[in-house]
Amino acid sequence: MASNLAVAVLNGIVWGMIMALIALGLNLIFGLLHIINMAHGALYMLGAVFSWYVIELTGNYWLALIVAPLGVGLVGLALERGILRTIEDQPVVTIICTFGIMLVLQQLVLTYFGGTACRIALPIPWRIPLFDLQYPVMRIVIAAISAAVMGTLWLFLNRTRYGLWMRAVVQDREMAVALGIPVHKVYMWTFVLGSVLAAFSGVLAAPIVCVDFMMGREILIMAFIIVIVGGMGNLWGSVVTAVMISLIHGVGSIFVVPSTATVFSLGFMILVLLVRPQGLFGE
Amino acid sequence: MLLDKWKGAAFPLAFGFLMAVLAAVPFFVDLFYQTFLTEILVWSLFAISFDLIFGYVGLLSFGQALFFGLGGYAVAIPVLKLGLGTGSGLLLSVAVPAAFAAFVGFFSVRLTGIHFVIITIIFALIGSTVGETWTSLTGGADGLVFMAPPLDLGVAKLDLMDIRTTYYLVLAIVALSYLFLRRMVRSPLGKVFVAIRENEERARLIGYDVRRYKLLAFVIAGGLSGLAGGLYSLSLKYASATFLHWSVSGHAVVYTIVGGAGTLVGPMLGAGLIMSLEHYLVKLLQATDLVVGAVLISTLLLAPMGIVGFLLGRRK
Repeated sequence: MASNLAVAVLNGIVWGMIMALIALGLNLIFGLLHIINMAHGALYMLGAVFSWYVIELTGNYWLALIVAPLGVGLVGLALERGILRTIEDQPVVTIICTFGIMLVLQQLVLTYFGGTACRIALPIPWRIPLFDLQYPVMRIVIAAISAAVMGTLWLFLNRTRYGLWMRAVVQDREMAVALGIPVHKVYMWTFVLGSVLAAFSGVLAAPIVCVDFMMGREILIMAFIIVIVGGMGNLWGSVVTAVMISLIHGVGSIFVVPSTATVFSLGFMILVLLVRPQGLFGE
Repeated sequence: MLLDKWKGAAFPLAFGFLMAVLAAVPFFVDLFYQTFLTEILVWSLFAISFDLIFGYVGLLSFGQALFFGLGGYAVAIPVLKLGLGTGSGLLLSVAVPAAFAAFVGFFSVRLTGIHFVIITIIFALIGSTVGETWTSLTGGADGLVFMAPPLDLGVAKLDLMDIRTTYYLVLAIVALSYLFLRRMVRSPLGKVFVAIRENEERARLIGYDVRRYKLLAFVIAGGLSGLAGGLYSLSLKYASATFLHWSVSGHAVVYTIVGGAGTLVGPMLGAGLIMSLEHYLVKLLQATDLVVGAVLISTLLLAPMGIVGFLLGRRK
């Protein structure tokens, strides 16, 4: 029992760190562009699929960890420049449009990658003993990498000029324009950054889950839940919520059926939406 | 003067003509295309039910799939487990989803914009999770297969295992639903819906209880989505938990946007066009969603009011 609980807690934290990255990307895009990005799950899936290709070609997971997010970043750049830019001030239209993008990306992957799920071998095969069970080291490394990415993001937002601009646009768009901040460029790079974050979590999740063209569909809703409970526009609220929800879900699944845990977390979210639409950590 | 008279006669003429053509079609095409047409009609009904809530009231609901799926089960479960007839099944396929819509809507219409979209998705997700888990009742993702008993109309018994009969039944119900919605959106009630879409604040200030109107529209849309689901399962003789998934609502969204939201005719046209496109393209390339997504995105960029809106020249 103790070992089961320990594994559930560890898994919850690892998965929470992965979810935190997706939610951060989604929240960043929402906070700045006010776009609910329905294609975010597809970008996560694309990250995992790209990494699978890189690993097929070179056999190197760490190379995939660099290349796949960059590739997805390019996709994000094309999407923002080509499509979303013209409609970015109409929230409802962008929801529908990103839904369309989701369909296209999923179908493209289905066509070229195929409909069967593929497993990626663990790049670090060692295991550490945990009570009477074995726990894969790779999962802990994944959580660490995710934490490192988040740290880098924090430095970027707080210590660089672009980060300053991004925070400025979130605070007061009009004023940012008046001060000469190139708002449209900030939009563009924010969307790219959000896509890269989604792809990162896709690559990190790839060795844990199966790589599959539908893998982003359920994740998208989980990411929405995290962003709303944590507060839209509140980045660090998302991180806390992601780990919290994964822990509750993981530990709860020991005691009840997973689908019951899902229904309860969904019900909890409806409650948050109705009672505190600004999120648990919002002002 | 003369023009006004023609305007009044134009709709009954066009409607009558179209109905005559649709009624004659089964005599010229084979069973495959009769089934295909039935499906188009069912999805058109689903699309116009979504158009009421999105195109007229301005609420983007991704939760219509919940009512669609429920409608399917409202036919399948009574027929299969309770031994009820098709007629009561169809009535239930309106009543049960409408009751659920009243519950979901009671909470959802308190929210606006993005929050509304997300809460409807969550409700649908709860529905599909429950539906996929509660396999003893729903059959889960495998679904339920049933035999539809003949529909007793008093004057005649309709054999619903016959494809052509089913087609005529679906055609009649969809046509009636369309007339019902058309009448409604042209009534004072419909004007209130549009007023809420255009400026919610102002509608409230004039004295309309906005939430109650939104709830009313949501319940009607839910009931009609359920009817579409009921007809769908009746024509397939099959209901499944996969129809409850929120992404099924995407069909209605796509048809409505491409055809033109807030026009009723548009979403039906959109359903017909996109489904035919899918049907013919599936032979060329397997990737139908690719085309659907591409058509959706290009419509949003090039003709945001959809095909009908574009033809009417109402550009933003």
